[in-house]
Amino acid sequence: MILTGKKIIEEVRKNRIDISPFDKERITTNSYDLSLGDTIIRYKSDIIDPRCKPSYDEIKIPKEGIVLKAGDFLLGHSNERIGSDFYVPLIHGKSGTARMGLFVHITADLIDIGSHGVTTFQLYATLPVRLYPGMLIAQVSFWVPFGDIVLYKGKYQNSTGPRPSMTYKDFKYDIFKNKG
Amino acid sequence: MILTGSKIRDEIKTGNIFIEPFFDDQINPNSYNYRLGSTIKIFDGFDGEKAVFKEINIPEDGYVLEPRKMYLATTKEIIGSSKYAMSLIGRSSMGRYGLFLQVSANLGHTTSKHKWTLEIVAALPIRLYPGMIIGQVSFWKNFGTVKKYDGRYGHLNHPQESFVPLIHQNV
Repeated sequence: MILTGKKIIEEVRKNRIDISPFDKERITTNSYDLSLGDTIIRYKSDIIDPRCKPSYDEIKIPKEGIVLKAGDFLLGHSNERIGSDFYVPLIHGKSGTARMGLFVHITADLIDIGSHGVTTFQLYATLPVRLYPGMLIAQVSFWVPFGDIVLYKGKYQNSTGPRPSMTYKDFKYDIFKNKG
Repeated sequence: MILTGSKIRDEIKTGNIFIEPFFDDQINPNSYNYRLGSTIKIFDGFDGEKAVFKEINIPEDGYVLEPRKMYLATTKEIIGSSKYAMSLIGRSSMGRYGLFLQVSANLGHTTSKHKWTLEIVAALPIRLYPGMIIGQVSFWKNFGTVKKYDGRYGHLNHPQESFVPLIHQNV
């Protein structure tokens, strides 16, 4: 079951859904609109190796925007801190964003219950597109869980900006351990 | 409704969810982390009208994917459920590298059970290792009577290219 916009407002008021800052105007029928923060990350490595800590540049998006060429991949972030200990959030592009050929996540829409923080957008352009800080580019929906809840305590908790991948930490602790 | 990690664990025990091999430490708050299998399949041009894919074993020291190519691989695990619908996606840690694990086909039908074919597209050059934790699968409660899946892909355990023929074009 997916929450309606009205239910999201009720649950934000009861502190069972965390969206901050929260603006009632951004509620849609089944979701809440998310805006693009002003910090962008661009990886510098020639080849990404999940075993190694990636090198990257952090860039501020100027008021006049930043242009992504077709094929560019950058990490951005939502201005809003989101999360819930009672519902499962899913991230989606806004239809207007998708119609420009811009992905806001790369097959990773699912957020763990109990995860709180600004969300990292995985921005992949299929057409040249200019992005402005503060523009509404994504939306979050909330889904009812089934079963006992164990909250997220992972490595991306309490993100305050775009967070590059931390797979090198998995490899440090050897994800292959005795698994054959 | 989406199953929590605890519920996934319960349903593995009852047999309503099947994951093999299964490791408890791959359970997330509302999904299960799957691993990459040991082979990858790459489109290798046409033989006459027939699309040719070559399959390679991913070396222990990894295999580098190039951007804007499409690769097929599988999950290391056999995954299925007689009771729940499934959604198979990537992990956020791989999305943060720009790695697609499927191409807008995340839905797994109730009663299908196999090593899932992954449709892999990389936005950046990236090295993949066999057996690495690469994606996640979630389980969803059904509403209505379940009709048994009788599709062509849901029992296959190797990376299977589309049964719809690719069109050979001189470009």
